[in-house]
Amino acid sequence: MTFINYVAHEINCKIVYYGPGLGGKTTNLKYVYGITSPENRGKMISLATETERTLFFDFLPIDLGQIRGYSTRFHLYTVPGQVFYDASRKLILRGVDGVVFVADSQEERMDANFESLSNLEQNLKEHGFDLYKIPYVLQLNKRDLPNILPADKLQKMLRIKGEPVFEAVATQGIGVLEALKAVTRQVLVALRKTA
Amino acid sequence: MMLSALLLRKSEYQQLQAILAKTQKDLGADLVILIDRAGHEIASEGQGLTLDHTALASLAAANLAATQELARLVGETEFSIIYHQGRHRSIHISDVARKYSLVLIFEDSVSMGMVRWKVKRAATLLEEILQESRERKPTREPGVSAAPSFTDAEIDRLMRHLSPIADVEGKV
Repeated sequence: MTFINYVAHEINCKIVYYGPGLGGKTTNLKYVYGITSPENRGKMISLATETERTLFFDFLPIDLGQIRGYSTRFHLYTVPGQVFYDASRKLILRGVDGVVFVADSQEERMDANFESLSNLEQNLKEHGFDLYKIPYVLQLNKRDLPNILPADKLQKMLRIKGEPVFEAVATQGIGVLEALKAVTRQVLVALRKTA
Repeated sequence: MMLSALLLRKSEYQQLQAILAKTQKDLGADLVILIDRAGHEIASEGQGLTLDHTALASLAAANLAATQELARLVGETEFSIIYHQGRHRSIHISDVARKYSLVLIFEDSVSMGMVRWKVKRAATLLEEILQESRERKPTREPGVSAAPSFTDAEIDRLMRHLSPIADVEGKV
């Protein structure tokens, strides 16, 4: 749920990075944290296991500055990708305004991509959201690995509604900001439609 | 449409602040903070403790969400309160109208019975104000703003704040 504080002139939105386990969701957030100036970002919180797998979520608040006198704050979350953490994943989608789906480009991870996409659709539905209407972008991550499928083939299989698609190497920051900007823009445009 | 923004009149916001201020004062709490279920801070009161409100709101919302799922698992409709007792300082998180949460941070000298009583009262009062504002449609009535309508150019300017490796063209 976008929270607009008309008194303090603030807009707060929630973006969730979704996708299969070990796909690079946390790496996306770490990169954004790394390149954002300290005054424009809050503390990054990672609730992870001892082996640094996401247990509940990662959280990074960023401040995009002012638009028409409103401060814009985006809260970025990741979900745990591992299949058995579904209950936690569902909770993180509460009040979501936009989703970045981080797909793993490796051929052997295609089933995991499909499973996660289907899981996203189902979990959004349980919160009353429609995947086909919510601000959404597709990121094809790990483009630097040897065993990947061609981007156009992945796009054909994973693109669901004409959403923006970005090839990415999150470890190098390639395609990270582009995906974030695209989803952020969609959220602000959706906000405009309600005016 | 997915967006369901909370549209508060200035007077309502001031009422919320007044309720939080009274609760904070009555309990001598370090901090009282009202958040929504997405983990955004709506209002807060208390200067006694310097901490990261954004992180607190996010973790408290996740904590309450997880606790409610635990309740469902054991066949309860809800556990409406979470209480973490520390050696010197405790946290009390409670449900407000099933859409918001009231988070209190207080020292161990405060009686738990008193906390429960004051929080219950505050939650009832907060609920009345929040319920009314949630049901309100964006209008041009005096004192209530509609959702801001940004132009493409304004959104473009805002996007520049995300410091670019702008030259990387990643789009397929």
